[in-house]
Amino acid sequence: MEINAAKRKIPSLIEGYGETSGKLYEGVFARAPHGYRAGPKIRTAAPNSGSKVTGGIKEAVMASGLKSGMTISFHHHLRNGDFVVNEVIRACAELGIGDLTIFPTALFDVHKMIIPYIESGVVAKIMGSVNGAIGKLVSNGELGTPVVLRSHGGRPRAVMSGDVHIDAAFIAAPAADRGGNISGRTGKSACGSIGYAFTDAEYADVVVAVTDNLQSFPISPVSIPGIYVDLVAVTDSIGDPAGIVSGTTKVTRDPLRLLIANYASKLIEASPYFMDGISFQTGAGGIPLAVTAYMKEAMKRRNITGSFGLGGITGYFVDLMKEGLVRKLMDVQSFDLKAVNSIASDPNHIEISADWYANPWNCGVAVNMLDVVILGATEVDMDFNANVNTEADGALLHGIGGHQDTAAGAKLTIIAQPLLRGRIPCVVERVHTLTTPGEVVDALVTEFGVTINPRRKDLLDAVADFVISKQIPLVPMEELAARARAMSGPMEPIRVTDKVVAVVEWRDGTVIDVVRRIEK
Amino acid sequence: MEANAIKTAQAGTLESMDCLVMITEWSAGRLVEVSGGAVVRFKASMEKHINDTLDALGTDEPLRISVQDNGALDVVLGARIEAAYKRYARLAV
Repeated sequence: MEINAAKRKIPSLIEGYGETSGKLYEGVFARAPHGYRAGPKIRTAAPNSGSKVTGGIKEAVMASGLKSGMTISFHHHLRNGDFVVNEVIRACAELGIGDLTIFPTALFDVHKMIIPYIESGVVAKIMGSVNGAIGKLVSNGELGTPVVLRSHGGRPRAVMSGDVHIDAAFIAAPAADRGGNISGRTGKSACGSIGYAFTDAEYADVVVAVTDNLQSFPISPVSIPGIYVDLVAVTDSIGDPAGIVSGTTKVTRDPLRLLIANYASKLIEASPYFMDGISFQTGAGGIPLAVTAYMKEAMKRRNITGSFGLGGITGYFVDLMKEGLVRKLMDVQSFDLKAVNSIASDPNHIEISADWYANPWNCGVAVNMLDVVILGATEVDMDFNANVNTEADGALLHGIGGHQDTAAGAKLTIIAQPLLRGRIPCVVERVHTLTTPGEVVDALVTEFGVTINPRRKDLLDAVADFVISKQIPLVPMEELAARARAMSGPMEPIRVTDKVVAVVEWRDGTVIDVVRRIEK
Repeated sequence: MEANAIKTAQAGTLESMDCLVMITEWSAGRLVEVSGGAVVRFKASMEKHINDTLDALGTDEPLRISVQDNGALDVVLGARIEAAYKRYARLAV
């Protein structure tokens, strides 16, 4: 057993993952890159072939040269409407290809169809975020090897540095042409940005575009150019539009959550970053969307405009841009129909890759330009460490997303969360799983007010006027924890076994924590 | 009341931070059943609070108490138990 710099116990050897010595978390910015980028096989399309269209998914799997034991990757822009992962795995099973490592950016409940293939050994290992039924399966220890959880930036970093080699990438393509050019902007399965797939296209040995919308060559604008793409598979439908984009994302109407959003917005307004050119990321959750709405009021009132909105983009951000309150949107994932339509038509709505968005090891990562990010967490502890990976019962709940990356990059990282979810307190003595270290979390906002990380004395000074004018109640972490304890009563500990079901990597590829199987 | 009808009373809802309490007659002793997301971390304290509330109401009848919890705090849980029990006690035997 080893102890890493975040004081978490990590086994020296994790079966199915490897030795952890030399891979233990050392600190937020401790690890620097060295050496050269890894690369895919050099290959060329058959001369004068004219078309990369190879038939359906099964024909493309055959033509790709995929073999048992290989690693295949997917992206999750089709979210809970995706058909591609299921269809590719089914094709592999039918072709007798097994023992696969799948490397999706995320799996959703729709992918529970692959559970029989996990049980039968077609899928041997998963590196990627697991939600819903597959998350439950993994939590119960039914996958032979642990899943590896990486942030949106940690994943492209792992690929470009050679930690993960992708043998074949299957890219859901809402629009494609016979030359393999891909776009997510148009078609019946349009999803907007396909930013998570860029790195896979650049680094996989073989790249297959899976489309239900074959257009004449060349399409424009192109997200992923055909220079990276070997094969085009055409299928009836790559996804269910109802699961791909939500019609509208809604601001919460819950008064408690609105109060939290209001405090968070006041904190931003009081901070030194609230000035012309402010940039922010707020995601699609109920509270962050409400923060966006309050910030809009504040920006109008104080007559300031923002430079860019980052990350997963919603219709609310599109409205901010249309009203001139932010100049640009940098979009790695378009959450709703309005965002999809905007990225398809407005050149100020920029499609960015996960690499550009969040990879700590490149020369222009967008999160480092970020002023403010609003995040959530299932648990925050006395040291401001955040857990987004496990639920109160210790089961896997959620991937890392951009949590680590934006927290590390933004000048002001705010976690906005009700103190209690039902009876379960969000402030605890010690997080069950450590996703993001408290060193990069600046404030926690709950219905009781704003709790500032004592490390940020500058921020405490900056909000003084807002505290005096009673716009921001300041609550010390100790008081918050005491309130939570008083309301919820004493919690029973989560009992776990020694078996590791998930490895949580910090964005630089070191092991920040592990998730152990719950004792039944 | 018909001969084979089971004496039952309930209180509460399945709204967030509430619970649905069902009290029915039982053969012997007191059976407390709790289910819901918070049970894994709060089972002992929920059961204790249910028992304490019933004891304070002065009942020693055989009862089966089923609680479907959706995150109720003790103050809510106790109120729902009390309401359900008082409704139960009012029923004709």
